[in-house]
Amino acid sequence: MRMPHVLLAALLSIGGLTCVTATPADSVEPGLSQASRQTATSPPPSSGVMPPREDDSVRFAIIGDTGTGTRSQYEIAAQMTKARAVFPFEFVIMLGDNIYGSERPQDFVAKFEKPYQALLDAKVPFYASLGNHDDPTQRFYRLFNMNGERYYTYTKGNARFFVLDSNYMDQPQLKWLEEQLSRSTDRWKIAYFHHPLYSSGDRHGSEVDLRSQVEPLFIKYGVDVVFAGHEHFYERIKPQNGIYYFTQGGSAKLRKGNINRGALTAAGFDTDFSFTLAELGKDAMQFQTLSRLGKPIDSGTLALAEEPKRATESTPSAR
Amino acid sequence: MRMLLVLAFTASLTVTAMSAGTGAQESPVNPFAQEMVDFRARVNDYMKLRDKATANLPDLEETKDPAKISAREKALGQAIAAARQTAKSGDVFGPEMSKYLRTILAEDWKSRSAADRKALFEEIPPNLKLTVNQVYPTTIPLVTLPAKLLMKLPMLPEALEYRLVDHYFLLRDRDANLVIDVLPKVYPTRNR
Repeated sequence: MRMPHVLLAALLSIGGLTCVTATPADSVEPGLSQASRQTATSPPPSSGVMPPREDDSVRFAIIGDTGTGTRSQYEIAAQMTKARAVFPFEFVIMLGDNIYGSERPQDFVAKFEKPYQALLDAKVPFYASLGNHDDPTQRFYRLFNMNGERYYTYTKGNARFFVLDSNYMDQPQLKWLEEQLSRSTDRWKIAYFHHPLYSSGDRHGSEVDLRSQVEPLFIKYGVDVVFAGHEHFYERIKPQNGIYYFTQGGSAKLRKGNINRGALTAAGFDTDFSFTLAELGKDAMQFQTLSRLGKPIDSGTLALAEEPKRATESTPSAR
Repeated sequence: MRMLLVLAFTASLTVTAMSAGTGAQESPVNPFAQEMVDFRARVNDYMKLRDKATANLPDLEETKDPAKISAREKALGQAIAAARQTAKSGDVFGPEMSKYLRTILAEDWKSRSAADRKALFEEIPPNLKLTVNQVYPTTIPLVTLPAKLLMKLPMLPEALEYRLVDHYFLLRDRDANLVIDVLPKVYPTRNR
């Protein structure tokens, strides 16, 4: 059903991962999404959401920098609920800055429970990571499913998720990460945390220091995809060292025009709020990013090749 | 001329490398080793005091009720602050460890790009004042501590963390959200 929309399919083979990006029919720039052409006032399409492709896949939603309690957060939450009717995601991952400003009990209600009430009522679990605006005691808030830990891991189907506290990457956390990664025999290894290792954002840019500590482990143990927030927009980074990097920090905050498109950017969207949906299948990950108005702004397929699945490639300059 | 400069630079590097090698052989001991041992002892003392002061508080467990989380945090902070009423800046860091910290923080500052330096102070209100036994203001972000810098600092128990906020270097009790020690002016003050 999606194929008629596909004008361009660019096949990139990076290491063992293959990315087939599909852009909407009226997109004109090869390799880029329609992102730069979206506006907040565009009328929403009847349904821009693609259904899952596989029966037993792991389906989840990705949101970041959400805890504002503002209208935009509610609007994204409403779109997520709508999207779930077509793409029944089982859980949501949160990329940090879950509660901005004060963290009184009423803030958890106004900045999390109310906006996502429909999803919470539908028993959709949220798995949070900590951002620089989050008090680490959020790890005790049951609805964030952190089991009282700043960093933790969990499995869903054939995938293992590694949730890190990028605010404070100390030695015990690095040791823990290496132990967990080395033990994992899961088909998919997904890491997520707040600060992006690669970013074209004018405001923050790549977290080079953090990258020097964690990326060697990601490469060594075959992490496939990394999600981060912090930058208030959506960006898909060109594969780095065989790893796919996404930034989704635009689910309630927005820095309009903040993406400095360059060597790193595969696709970007910084003109409206957004969220991302992902499906981990046997051999491929489908992803789709939708705007506050439900418009598709980026989508594609990341195919997972058989082991050995990595080949080192040069890294573009970080900033 | 260019050849001469290259030769001079090469010679300089060789001398530096030889000096570094010789120095490493002559002085294999970290000059701050004793300070680090003493610092760890003071941290352990703090942890003992903390355990004693908070012995009657129930452990924090996962809860759906954020009121319980904030109440526990507040109670923990109050109990610790009450037990450390006379605590002052530098009590845990100590004078010698403070010198070491200032040295590596100055190196860290030099290594940062202009953008990095600017990012450090992002969203931090001007004229911020932080003192021992103060609750860390929840309305301002916890500035990320660079991972490489963390590797140079003595490890802490999970209950404690280092933080850089504005020109302050802090020792913060993570679950009490309390400033345990503060080292001011480790970075240039706000004129950035």
